[in-house]
Amino acid sequence: MNSWLKTSRLCRYYRRGPQEIRAVDNVDLTVRRGEFLGVVGSSGSGKSTLLNLLAGLDTPTSGSIDFNNVTLGSLSRRELSSYRMRSVGMVFQSFNLLHYKTALENVELALYFSGTSKAVRRERAESSLETLGLSDRLDHRPSDLSGGEQQRVAIARALVKEPEILFADEPTGNLDHDNALQIAELLAKLNREGLTILLVTHNLDLAGSYCSRIITMNYGKIIDDSSGTRGV
Amino acid sequence: MKLRDMIEISVGNLWRMKLRASLTISGVVIAIAAFVSMLSFAAGMEENVSERFDRLGLLSTMQVYQQRSTETDTTTLNPLDDGAIEALLKIPGVTLAYPYDVFDVTVEIADTQFSSKAQALSGEAARTRLFSQFLAGKSFTSDMANQAVVTESFMEDLGIDEPDSLIGKKLIVSIGVSSLDSALAHLIESDGETFRERFSRIDVDSLIDSREYLKRTYQKELSEATRRFLEGYFGARDKIADTLQITGVIERTRGRSRSAPILVPVQTGKLFSSSGFSGNPLELLSTIQSGTFFESAPDPSSKSYSRVTIEIEPTVPFGPVKDSVTALGFRSFSYAEEFEEIRNVFVYFNMVIGLIGFLALITVSLGIVNTMVMAIMERRREIGVLKSLGADESEIKLLFLTESGVIGVIGATAGIVFGWLITRVASFIAKDVMVSKEIDPIELFSLPIWLILAAFALGLIVSLAAGYYPASRAARVDPVQALRSE
Ligand SMILES: Nc1ncnc2c1ncn2[C@@H]1O[C@H](COP(=O)(O)OP(=O)(O)O)[C@@H](O)[C@H]1O
Ligand SMILES: [Mg+2]
Repeated sequence: MNSWLKTSRLCRYYRRGPQEIRAVDNVDLTVRRGEFLGVVGSSGSGKSTLLNLLAGLDTPTSGSIDFNNVTLGSLSRRELSSYRMRSVGMVFQSFNLLHYKTALENVELALYFSGTSKAVRRERAESSLETLGLSDRLDHRPSDLSGGEQQRVAIARALVKEPEILFADEPTGNLDHDNALQIAELLAKLNREGLTILLVTHNLDLAGSYCSRIITMNYGKIIDDSSGTRGV
Repeated sequence: MKLRDMIEISVGNLWRMKLRASLTISGVVIAIAAFVSMLSFAAGMEENVSERFDRLGLLSTMQVYQQRSTETDTTTLNPLDDGAIEALLKIPGVTLAYPYDVFDVTVEIADTQFSSKAQALSGEAARTRLFSQFLAGKSFTSDMANQAVVTESFMEDLGIDEPDSLIGKKLIVSIGVSSLDSALAHLIESDGETFRERFSRIDVDSLIDSREYLKRTYQKELSEATRRFLEGYFGARDKIADTLQITGVIERTRGRSRSAPILVPVQTGKLFSSSGFSGNPLELLSTIQSGTFFESAPDPSSKSYSRVTIEIEPTVPFGPVKDSVTALGFRSFSYAEEFEEIRNVFVYFNMVIGLIGFLALITVSLGIVNTMVMAIMERRREIGVLKSLGADESEIKLLFLTESGVIGVIGATAGIVFGWLITRVASFIAKDVMVSKEIDPIELFSLPIWLILAAFALGLIVSLAAGYYPASRAARVDPVQALRSE
């Protein structure tokens, strides 16, 4: 259980001219199955970079990531795509919905790459949106939805694949206070239902009230790892 | 990812960028339409030519001539006589050999009288396709029948438009002229060419320079004049007339396969040709030279012809037959050979058009590259999303390739239709013009299936090639950068 999602000496460096930026620097982190892990830290501390590495979207400069005893670095490109498709769900600050597609089509998009048939795609996308209380918004385009609704569509898109872990990078960053709270509540509910969540946020209050564990990053390193106010 | 889904997404994406996509597609349409219409014209021409050649039976005939006389050596010339015809018939693959046995005649039809030429034709020869293009009526019934078939040019000489009106008409054919005056007239003017014209052809410079040339020229002109005079004179004693019934009118025969305006059965023809002298000056000259001129009518078996036509079995290759003809000491000409050359011209023509079309498509492909690169720059975030959702690089690449492929398929299909429409309009106009000029309208264009397939393949391949680089670029988009919130 301990070695479910685990990094060891994980580094991601960027080179900007003569300067080397250590976005993620020697991170040893273990994410436990079922936990609601908050990642906080000032802007530029490497939170997004760490999340992208864990999600298999970025490649480490050195170090390794193991998921279910498989080292991501040893996977072929196609296998890594498959890891993103089956195991990972992602939610972003700017929603990243396709503006020309309806809510339903945006959610359906997540099922294209697993070869799911059209009918099943539709059915699963509908039920995913329903779960998030958006059954009357299926045919709305993102521009016709509020920020909170858009983010819920994005979460529906992430969940329709039934991932094992959800990576959320500042999902409330673009939302007002009420909507942010709603989304946080939603994530907490999903976590209670068994979903492992890694939430990046700079909202310490939010992290403090919902996360089971919080790590703090600074200059690419984890400088604090607590079990949060609620504890587990 | 399924191809169906990809096509659906691609069409959706193109639909979303209607204006840009339709501009790009119309480039493909124009290039393909130009390609199709031009090649359709070439294909139409080729079909017309080969169809004509084939219909006239020209592709299975060969014309045989006497070897051209070289100035120094005239003795070894093989005469193109009945013996030669026998020899030609022995060549494997030759099914028929008949001479161009032609003589000057005077014809009388209705109240018109004029001089013309008649050609004797055996029943077998008359049945070949060359002489079977009837505008009206049919061929003669037997080799002995008092019948004649006339050609389109005869009709024109007569000033008649309706071929049907000639069928069954009586045609009085006579040979020889009736007086010494006519003999002189014959001397001064024959074949529509006057003495003066004949002399104007003589190269004056050579006359001054070369006694040899002078001698030869005088000799030639003198013997020609003698021949004409004698022909007229002797003909006067020997006027033969026969009344023939016109049974058919055939299309004009052309070029090297030209026949005389009047065709008569071979036995009927003998009546004329054995009584007079043939129109072949070589023969007359030899009669004069050998001193047999004042003897009885020349022996028909020694008669030599200016040309013999041979029919070759369609399956037999021309090359060996031609070689055998050459080996017998004759020259040959065949439209089949000519046709090969014409065909080569078409191949060349097609290649040039193909190249022009290809260059146009290259230009168009730059448009496709532009469209796709722009699409990718605009859709970087989308590519990032797709990758985060588990799309593989190869799937992203295929997705964009499908998009340019759809441009190609729509463009090529519409281009083929548009090109076809162009040919229909052009054909309509061309036929209108042909009718107004009283030419039988022919179809100038042809759209064979290979052309449709080639145009389609070309449009698709060029589009895919143009889409390849942008698609590879799309596949390499870094999702982390693309998804970064600005
Ligand atoms: N592509 C890049 N090139 C250069 N530097 C980068 C790149 N991406 C991120 N960085 C740098 O890495 C550091 C960490 O960035 P990031 O992970 O986005 O921080 P956070 O999400 O905590 O705000 C920052 O200093 C940022 O400027
Ligand atoms: Mg960030």
